[in-house]
Amino acid sequence: MKQAEQIPRNALVWMIAAQFTLLAPHLPRVPIWVVAVSLCAALWRIMVYRGSWSFPRWPVKLALILAGVGGILLSFRNLIGLEPMVALLLVAFALKVLEVARRKDAYVLLFLGYFVVLTEFLFSQDLLIVLLCLCNVILVTTALVALHRPGDERFSLRPLRSATAMVLQSAPLMVVLFFIFPRVGPLWTVPLKSQSAVTGMSDFMRPGDVSRLSRSGEVAFRVAFEGEIPPRSQLYWRGLVMSRLEAGTWSTLDYYDVPADQRRPPLPEVTEAPLRYSVIMAPTQQRWLYALRYARSADTGIMNAADYRLFRPVVIEDDFRYTVESWPAAELETELSPWRQRTELALPQGRNPRTLALGQELAAGSDDSQAIVDRALALFSEQSFFYTLEPPTLPAQDAVDAFLFGTRRGFCEHYASAFVVLMRAAGVPARVVAGYQGGEINPVNRTVIVHQFDAHAWAEVWMAGRGWVRVDPTSAVSPARVEFGLEQAVASEGTFLADQPLSPLRYRGIRWINQVRLRYDALTYRWQSWVVSFDGTRQMNLLQDWLGQVSPLRIAAVILGALALALLPAAVLLLWRRPLAALAPHDRLYLKFCARLARMGVVREAGEAPGSYARRAAQAVPRLAQSIESITRCYQQLAYADDPAREAAALQREMQQAVRRLN
Amino acid sequence: MQLQELIDSAVAEVGKVLLGKEPQVRLALCCLFSRGHLLIEDLPGMGKTTLCHALADVLGLSWKRVQFTSDLLPADILGVSVYNANDASFSFRPGPVFTQLLLADEINRTTPRTQSALLEAMAEGQVTVDGETRALPDPFFVIATQNPVHQSGTYPLPESQLDRFLMRLHLGYPDPRAERAMFQRRQAPGNAREGLQQVISTAQLAAIREAVREVQSSDNLLDYLQRLVAYTRESPEFEVGLSPRGALALLGSAQTWAVMHNRNHVIPEDLQAVLPAVAAHRLVPSGDYAGDGAALVALLQRNVDVIRP
Repeated sequence: MKQAEQIPRNALVWMIAAQFTLLAPHLPRVPIWVVAVSLCAALWRIMVYRGSWSFPRWPVKLALILAGVGGILLSFRNLIGLEPMVALLLVAFALKVLEVARRKDAYVLLFLGYFVVLTEFLFSQDLLIVLLCLCNVILVTTALVALHRPGDERFSLRPLRSATAMVLQSAPLMVVLFFIFPRVGPLWTVPLKSQSAVTGMSDFMRPGDVSRLSRSGEVAFRVAFEGEIPPRSQLYWRGLVMSRLEAGTWSTLDYYDVPADQRRPPLPEVTEAPLRYSVIMAPTQQRWLYALRYARSADTGIMNAADYRLFRPVVIEDDFRYTVESWPAAELETELSPWRQRTELALPQGRNPRTLALGQELAAGSDDSQAIVDRALALFSEQSFFYTLEPPTLPAQDAVDAFLFGTRRGFCEHYASAFVVLMRAAGVPARVVAGYQGGEINPVNRTVIVHQFDAHAWAEVWMAGRGWVRVDPTSAVSPARVEFGLEQAVASEGTFLADQPLSPLRYRGIRWINQVRLRYDALTYRWQSWVVSFDGTRQMNLLQDWLGQVSPLRIAAVILGALALALLPAAVLLLWRRPLAALAPHDRLYLKFCARLARMGVVREAGEAPGSYARRAAQAVPRLAQSIESITRCYQQLAYADDPAREAAALQREMQQAVRRLN
Repeated sequence: MQLQELIDSAVAEVGKVLLGKEPQVRLALCCLFSRGHLLIEDLPGMGKTTLCHALADVLGLSWKRVQFTSDLLPADILGVSVYNANDASFSFRPGPVFTQLLLADEINRTTPRTQSALLEAMAEGQVTVDGETRALPDPFFVIATQNPVHQSGTYPLPESQLDRFLMRLHLGYPDPRAERAMFQRRQAPGNAREGLQQVISTAQLAAIREAVREVQSSDNLLDYLQRLVAYTRESPEFEVGLSPRGALALLGSAQTWAVMHNRNHVIPEDLQAVLPAVAAHRLVPSGDYAGDGAALVALLQRNVDVIRP
């Protein structure tokens, strides 16, 4: 094999290093055996380099490929979908290492490496992940640089330096392309994330099951208010409205469950100034959005459902940003249609008989809805109900009865569910609302961070003349839950984030950890609002602001112009460094003379000395032979002989005049 | 002054026996004026030995010739201590190396051991035998001839030894006219070489060497030299670039060349004139590069700009 075809040892080292750093961000979502395959492949390749083993032959390679595909099939049950595809890619990458014998194989591997870097963004666009991917790009580039330094047998960091410089130099281009390169829609779609990756709320509620949701420290969404942040006890982020109770499960009404003439909610009258805020929510793989009570959004693609919640027809697969206006005091649906009345009073036949009886007993006293609500809440606060995150499970049959008259231990879902059933039994239209309550105010940038453990469920009760009114039965049992949040409410129990020992949220008591956490969160918010949420629409708006009218020609012009601007500093630097200015006057004069002759067709070769050039030029342009000879003589005196300064000045003058006369 | 004429007449004198090889003769003289040793590489029968004889005659130097064979031993060159039974002592019998001009014929036919015996003599101008160091005569030149390395029965000279030769020359076939003249002279009576006269006296030789020392090299020229050297070290075609010793050899030869052309300063043409002879045997092409040392020199000369950095 020619030396140019060989892979230098240094390049191999960087290649294998890149292999593992490329694998690192994918670790949480690939089976552990993929790591083992990578390790073995790297080891094998190293043994090949040391000459102990040989490259695998084709039957072995075929067996390895089949085993890899089979392993993916066994681990994921199918090959279609994002995770299995990425795992397959990583296995293929590891096996390809075993095939890298020549430089061209290394090219294939490293260009595949850039693609592997890209796949990470399909899962997360977190700031730290982006930094890690940048490091990976640098590392892959380093391997590429090292590949072109043959004979570098000792490990050296020099390729890393070059690669870092190259990546940093391309950063301005990257920024330009990010802002103006047209966002092309996908040419095809694959079923992206599998459902197992979903965290957050589901669109149904079974209070009998133990909730896992309330304990996760992940961020559900972040909110930036334009003005003052309302008090925490007013922050009820509505997400889902559940009006239907069937077989112990609460569920929402779909768009088509609502009669056609009622699919748009009656617009309430709003007089006071709205709360304005923007929300950036983490992907949920669902369609509903979170907002404070009576919310409207001017963004395109956000709709209002009949029960005054916001939703988006497209599943939220990436970080999604939207702006909202809310009127918390607005009266919602002061007139209830017969269908709505029926729906919000419906109870399953023959279930929870003791609760029904209690409801009717509560209603017997008066017709006033407010009084009934007060009495029910008094019931919760006076009798021995407990707020806990670890309630006993309830029987599937008559779960509300079992809760109200039996266990009396539960969290928000239990209380909301029981309260709504009680209200409906008492003849008051009521429904469950699921969403988040409260949030943490980040003092760094004044955003409200809502975590998954802020998930909450409460009730809405319809009262004549006032419309839908929010009632939170949990606050009657555990006022701390609403005032101070979940952590305070379960402080005595010790169940807050009990299964997440590493979450920084657990260590909020330690001042510097909390500071770092909040600062990083503020940085994340900025990252999300500037970069992640910069989609095709916002790009179009930006371009329209700049260009007025967006046409392909103008976009092309802007791209080229911006590229030129981004490259300008590099060009200036290159020119600056070129030591043209370091040339002595006689050198510059001589080069001018060469340029003149070049225009007459006699170009000086790089390696041509003045004397031989002069002879050639004199032959080519005989009429100038004399001036050529004298200029060359002067130049040779000036450049190579150490003449006294006075003579040098005279020679310089003579040469200058000769060059000027040369025509 | 008359220096150029002196050299011209010396070249002409050598040209009486070695026809049509004027450039090589000039370079050979340049090498000797620069106190360098000369290596002449060519096929057998191309006039290598003739050139040596002629140079020795023209410079009026005492010379000895050693034919290197595969069984030649170091003592055969340096000399041996002989036991004298009469007064029971050792007396040193100097070898052929103790001369002003040593002609080492077919140096690569002998073993590396014997080759390296010449090393100290060439580098230091002295010889150590039996722990005693003996100085060699003052102008001490080695002119070695060698057959091309690919011929059978040769031991290639190691790089370290090649480096001690200031120049390496190829003679090549004579052109047809010179060859015809040679044939004609063959028919004439008498051996032509015996007619060669000494042209340059020892004093004149010393004067030339003195003049070489006075030659100036301007910054512009040193810049060009450094660009040349740097190119051999950085460009991927070169496995081994020019060493500092090689660079000094280049500059020294160029200075002599300038003196031989009646100049007190070096110009780029001087460097370019001696470059192939001085550099070609010191450069090693890298594995990727198809050419040999001469091709490397051509590449070097073509790609390094004389004027501009």
